[in-house]
Amino acid sequence: MSSPPDLDRATAVHAHEVEHVYGGGRDAVTALGPLSLEVPQGSFLVIVGASGCGKSTLLRLIAGFEQPTSGTVRTGGDQPVPGKGAGIVFQQPRLFPWKSVGGNIELALRYAGVPREERARQIPELLRRVGLHDVAHRRIWQISGGQQQRVAIARALAGDNPLLLLDEPFAALDALTRERLQEDLRRVSAETGRTSVFVTHSVEEAVFLGSRVVVLTRRPGRIALDLDIPLPRTGLEPDELRALPEYAALRATVSQAVRTAAALRGK
Amino acid sequence: MYRKSPDQPVSRRRAVPRFAVRTLAVLVLLGLWQAVAMALDNPSFIPAPKAVADRLLLLSTTHDGIRGYSGSLLIEHLGVSLRRILIGSVIGVVGGLVLGVVLGTVPWIRIVAEPVVTFVRALPPLAYFSLLIIWFGIDETPKLWLLAIAALPPVAVATAAAVHGAPTDLVEAAKALGASRRQVIQDVVLPNALPEIFTGVRLAVGIAYSSVVAAETVNGVPGIGGMVRDAQRYLQTDVVVVGLLAIGISGLLIDGILRVAEKRLIPWRGRS
Repeated sequence: MSSPPDLDRATAVHAHEVEHVYGGGRDAVTALGPLSLEVPQGSFLVIVGASGCGKSTLLRLIAGFEQPTSGTVRTGGDQPVPGKGAGIVFQQPRLFPWKSVGGNIELALRYAGVPREERARQIPELLRRVGLHDVAHRRIWQISGGQQQRVAIARALAGDNPLLLLDEPFAALDALTRERLQEDLRRVSAETGRTSVFVTHSVEEAVFLGSRVVVLTRRPGRIALDLDIPLPRTGLEPDELRALPEYAALRATVSQAVRTAAALRGK
Repeated sequence: MYRKSPDQPVSRRRAVPRFAVRTLAVLVLLGLWQAVAMALDNPSFIPAPKAVADRLLLLSTTHDGIRGYSGSLLIEHLGVSLRRILIGSVIGVVGGLVLGVVLGTVPWIRIVAEPVVTFVRALPPLAYFSLLIIWFGIDETPKLWLLAIAALPPVAVATAAAVHGAPTDLVEAAKALGASRRQVIQDVVLPNALPEIFTGVRLAVGIAYSSVVAAETVNGVPGIGGMVRDAQRYLQTDVVVVGLLAIGISGLLIDGILRVAEKRLIPWRGRS
């Protein structure tokens, strides 16, 4: 497929006039769109919206788990296919309990075509990157929920995919654990420089993590606000970042948009 | 606050009486048995525990040139039967596994074959044994067929259900990692089905166990079922009782071994 200029490799995700309808006939529910979006390589896009606004649907379209009813979605210039080009972190860790922590990572590396000796070398490296040490031999139920989600992130990073998709990955965690995982994810994303699309309903999380925040309207979800977050990605401690006056201002802007969008219908 | 951790001492205190209660129950049963045997005073109807114990010794040794029962020691009868159960169960379990995976993954085969499996499952093994004898004679072959056919349905049904009900979130997670269709079945669907498959295997071995007596009704000596049947014909009630005890106790042991194997092979059972 020839790439038009706007589909070049510098655009990690490209969505054009995307609409998604669940069901058919009288029961048809338009969950999303029409909506257009471009995500440049290396950016950290956070999609915020109230529950049921279609933000998870958008992520599933980008992942290739669903096909849009109309419009086109491209990742890296191609039609998205699950397991090709994107690592995914779900709301639940979805780890395989019959494998150890290391075994879960190993499986991801094997599917990605990494040779055996190389896999053994990469497992501790990947775990270390998400802040885990000496857990490779542990069973899934022997580690905490927060640690499980860290393993899930390491597993999604394992394929060295250019794109990382995260669907409310911290929603089920307690506040303290959530904050620490947010801080670590921000660091990991800055380290690896890969493109991320992160779905959440938390304004705080969106402003802290994103280099760009998109707020969706009520169903069918459309873009209500598209805002760059010009905060430094490195060099600041999380608390210093949160203490910046710009941080509070951005949070207020997004919060305001989310409240308006929740009242606003897409059509 | 005289107890720091209330949970552990309770469970530990409960473990000891469990064993004691069971031992006591066995002793009470033995006492009852002895009492009834003494009251009836008819060894052909109910032999006393002592007579059964003596018979056990006779069956396990060579006495006055007579070796056990029909030339085989009790342990040899049991060994022959266990071998039949083992071979029959292995064939049945492997067949059930393959059939179960096919049933669980190919919808049209499921529609065609499921009633057949249910039909065979409902038949008592003795009913189709006659047919097996006509086809395969009276030696080992029909016995192994019988046990294999008896053991197959529970494994097939359990496997099919577990494979069919594979959790979509884990399948999706594997696909998100780039797993092919074959890898999804091999790395997610089958391991996920393992706990249920194992329950099916335990059930299958139990059914093979209870079918071995049926399998040994024809030309079954040596074999514990054959021994019991012969002894019944000659009203050797104490031999029958020894045989029953041997079948029951070895059955308990085998189920115990399977439970231990299950714990080691499927440590995630009940934790996901």
